[in-house]
Amino acid sequence: MNRLIVRIAVDRLVTGLIAISVALAAIPVIILLLFVVIKGVPGILASGFFTQSFHPYGVPGGGVLNAIVGTLEIVGIGSLLAVPVGALIGIFLSEYGRNQIGDTVRFISDVLTGLPSIAFGIFGYTVLVATLGHFSAVSASVALAVLMLPVILRATETALLLVPHSLREAGLALGAPRWRVTMEVIVPAALGGIVTGALLAMARAAGETAPLLFTALGNDYLQTNPLRPMGALALTVFRNALLPYSNLQDQAWAAGLLLVMLVALTNILARIYVRRIQR
Amino acid sequence: MSRATAEVIPAPPVAKSHRRRFNAGDQVFTGLAYAAALLMIVIAVIFVIALVIPALPAITSFGVGFLTGRVWDPVHLRFGALPAIYGTLVTSAIGILLAFPIGLGAALFLAEEGGLSAIRGPLSFAIELLAAIPSVVIGLWAFFILTPIMRSIVDPFLNHTLGFLPFFRGGASGYGYLTAGVVLAIMVLPIMTALSRDVIRAVPRALREASLALGATNAESIWSVVLPFARVGITGAVLLSLGRALGETIAVTMVIGNSPNISASLFSLGYTLPSVIANEFTEAVGKVYQGALFELALILALITIVVNVLARLLIWRFKGSEPSVA
Amino acid sequence: MKRILVGLSASAALLLAACGGSSTATNPSTGAANTIPTPPAASLTGAGATFPAPFYTAAFYAYNQKYSQVTVNYQAVGSGAGIQQLTAKTVDFGASDVPMSASELTAAGGSDAVVQIASTLGTEGLAYNLQGVSTGQLKLTPDTIAGIFLGSIKKWNDPALAADNSGVSLPNAPISVVHRSDGSGTTYIFTDYLSSVNADWKSKVAKGKSVNWPVGQGAKGNEAVATTIKNTPNSIGYVELAYILQTNMTQASLKNHDGNFVVPSPEGATAAASQFLAVNPSQFSIVDAPGKDSAPISGYSWLMLYKEQTDKTKGTAAVDLLDWMVQDGQQYATTVHYAKLPATMVRNDINSLKTVTSGGSTLLNVPSPS
Repeated sequence: MNRLIVRIAVDRLVTGLIAISVALAAIPVIILLLFVVIKGVPGILASGFFTQSFHPYGVPGGGVLNAIVGTLEIVGIGSLLAVPVGALIGIFLSEYGRNQIGDTVRFISDVLTGLPSIAFGIFGYTVLVATLGHFSAVSASVALAVLMLPVILRATETALLLVPHSLREAGLALGAPRWRVTMEVIVPAALGGIVTGALLAMARAAGETAPLLFTALGNDYLQTNPLRPMGALALTVFRNALLPYSNLQDQAWAAGLLLVMLVALTNILARIYVRRIQR
Repeated sequence: MSRATAEVIPAPPVAKSHRRRFNAGDQVFTGLAYAAALLMIVIAVIFVIALVIPALPAITSFGVGFLTGRVWDPVHLRFGALPAIYGTLVTSAIGILLAFPIGLGAALFLAEEGGLSAIRGPLSFAIELLAAIPSVVIGLWAFFILTPIMRSIVDPFLNHTLGFLPFFRGGASGYGYLTAGVVLAIMVLPIMTALSRDVIRAVPRALREASLALGATNAESIWSVVLPFARVGITGAVLLSLGRALGETIAVTMVIGNSPNISASLFSLGYTLPSVIANEFTEAVGKVYQGALFELALILALITIVVNVLARLLIWRFKGSEPSVA
Repeated sequence: MKRILVGLSASAALLLAACGGSSTATNPSTGAANTIPTPPAASLTGAGATFPAPFYTAAFYAYNQKYSQVTVNYQAVGSGAGIQQLTAKTVDFGASDVPMSASELTAAGGSDAVVQIASTLGTEGLAYNLQGVSTGQLKLTPDTIAGIFLGSIKKWNDPALAADNSGVSLPNAPISVVHRSDGSGTTYIFTDYLSSVNADWKSKVAKGKSVNWPVGQGAKGNEAVATTIKNTPNSIGYVELAYILQTNMTQASLKNHDGNFVVPSPEGATAAASQFLAVNPSQFSIVDAPGKDSAPISGYSWLMLYKEQTDKTKGTAAVDLLDWMVQDGQQYATTVHYAKLPATMVRNDINSLKTVTSGGSTLLNVPSPS
């Protein structure tokens, strides 16, 4: 009897510890998000935040239009590069990758996942900036694309492997060539997972600063030509948050908040999409 | 999404009979897929070149002494990586030690089914959102809000209660190893929680129900069924989190104190590999100085690779497939 | 002497305005009397020093308002990176707090390949956090500053400090030293100053953008140094003047070369610069300047571009911009707490700009301000 009481007490204790862990895990998220919101809202509400580009200290107004456009374009081009290639590599891994090449690719992808993000900036600089002779948005896109690749190809491989084998066999039994079975049966069936992986990769890329420093460089003017230096929200946060001028600091915080909202939105979209697919 | 991974049935190699049907489309498609895979290998080669070549001047000047040197003097071109390696390992260890129990506890809660499910969804979402907050934002938050709390509350408390240990001695400025460790704990918490949650979910339900049916309490079934089954996978989650913690740059730089010390006290100021790179990369002139920074990046990459490979191996062994959380 | 120079530069500006270059055009928005040479349409990229970045972005913005066909994108990536990127020819001009050294020039194509001009003038102060001690009350001498940063003066009530500060109550508390952790021109000017005034510092630490600090805590960027000082009682650190003034920090008065205690100010920087009329890219230090008003920890910031410009349009746009920058553009320096360039320096700069060529022809076609 006594033992039972001890067992129940231990059980309660463990339940309590789990509850404390949950609270401890949730608290930093909440205070961090509150911090970002409180610091960021004044800047977001300032007039011109969404409609004007950077104004230096002493010039009233000013916003982050250049950075919003830059982030969308850099991440957009990066995704255009990374999503098809990443998905193709994912298809390779699941359909043809049970060999030495597949294992090598998986290993490289795992190692890339763990590299510090500044390394991707060095990559982009070496491959495109130093060879072309100027900074450009597209070199940042390439750096981010490489950073996104492992996430996308892993998500694709996992999703493809989940497709029931009977579907694949049914397609082949109907006499369809293998590539058509893959593209028209298997990939559509796995689309939910692929899209989620792509969106998560885009979200991560949007928040990165280090790969942009020596590729996109930054631009205080609105620039849409991908061969020119371009601004980005993450760069605005990084550069302006540490200036002594309060209106520029406000802009930096607001840019940070905008970035978090962008990422949250992407996450929510991914979830909704997956839920719809799963139904 | 990786919750279903456990039921993955690997596709068996397609039988030769299908290939007999010659198809140009198939050849093109196969070619494309192989080309994409080869691209990955090309990227890796360029990566190695881009990091190793600039590091060569330092590697040839300092040799192995670089790893054991304790002086970092850019003026006289004497460089040693030991304080930064030490700081990187210590802060990451603190981060993992703090994040591990919390992440595991939260994962146990999130992996459970039924009851309180109204909280689980939003909580999972919030913790995943934490992973997406740019690290510079976390750094600024830590700099403005966490350091005063550490200085006036946490550090004095630890000094008062555990001051007999060498780790909690000396004056506390609010910056240093411990504060950086706390920041890292916050940053790896999402990975730790999400990966552990997926691993725990993969524990066959029948096992758990059997244990409960035999009269075990919830705590006992966690201890004697869930954790043993998930042990390897959780170890993998820890190692993956460690990989992330080792490479974290900006947020740590804001609170570590950036001072090349080696000291037992967790209150003392320190330095980490990524912090040195972030601090000095843009102002470094001369091939040897730049080379020293690239060599730090190389050391960091090697440590990260080792940790990640270990983590993947463990998780693979456990799940027979790959976790999809990056 | 000073007045004459100012007069000279004013007449130079007039001459500039009167005699336009080949591409004279009247810009309706700049007034009727002007026939300022209109720069060609171009999009220029510059990168480098963070220290003068607020001034550069303000000036380049104003330039774009004036000549909408020219956009100048300046990004503060750090002086070292600025020099590297100029050398790699990925930017049209670079910026650095320390001019390029002989070896850097060699890497860039030879000692004569690059034109370097002084763009602005700044100064640093020692900011502190001491209860009840307001700005200027704490008096520091070269030896006490060096002592604090070498770690030989450990406490605020050290006799060496008390000697200069009778009447100020300094606490019996350890001094928390804060310095920059990132490589920076601010650190270079500060350690250059310490090396010139203190033999111990020169032999043990010396000058550099990053040094092996004997004591103290590193913080990334001026702002982080400022905030760390504000957050830490009994702390002290060197901070660029704009940050001290913008964030209302308390700063010490510093004993200058003539033995006067001065609170660093833009005027003090101008006074210091006026003592070094022969400053050039290889002799650029103006720390520990003589003169009763001189702020002791002052320095120039520099812009650099290739002497031979491959793209004539861009090259013309760049020299026009820099020519404006060292003259009319100087008005934007004061709003961000930098000092205007002395007239001699403006003249040197213009002379340097006239050596920039493209395909053998000079790009800046204005008369010399004699």
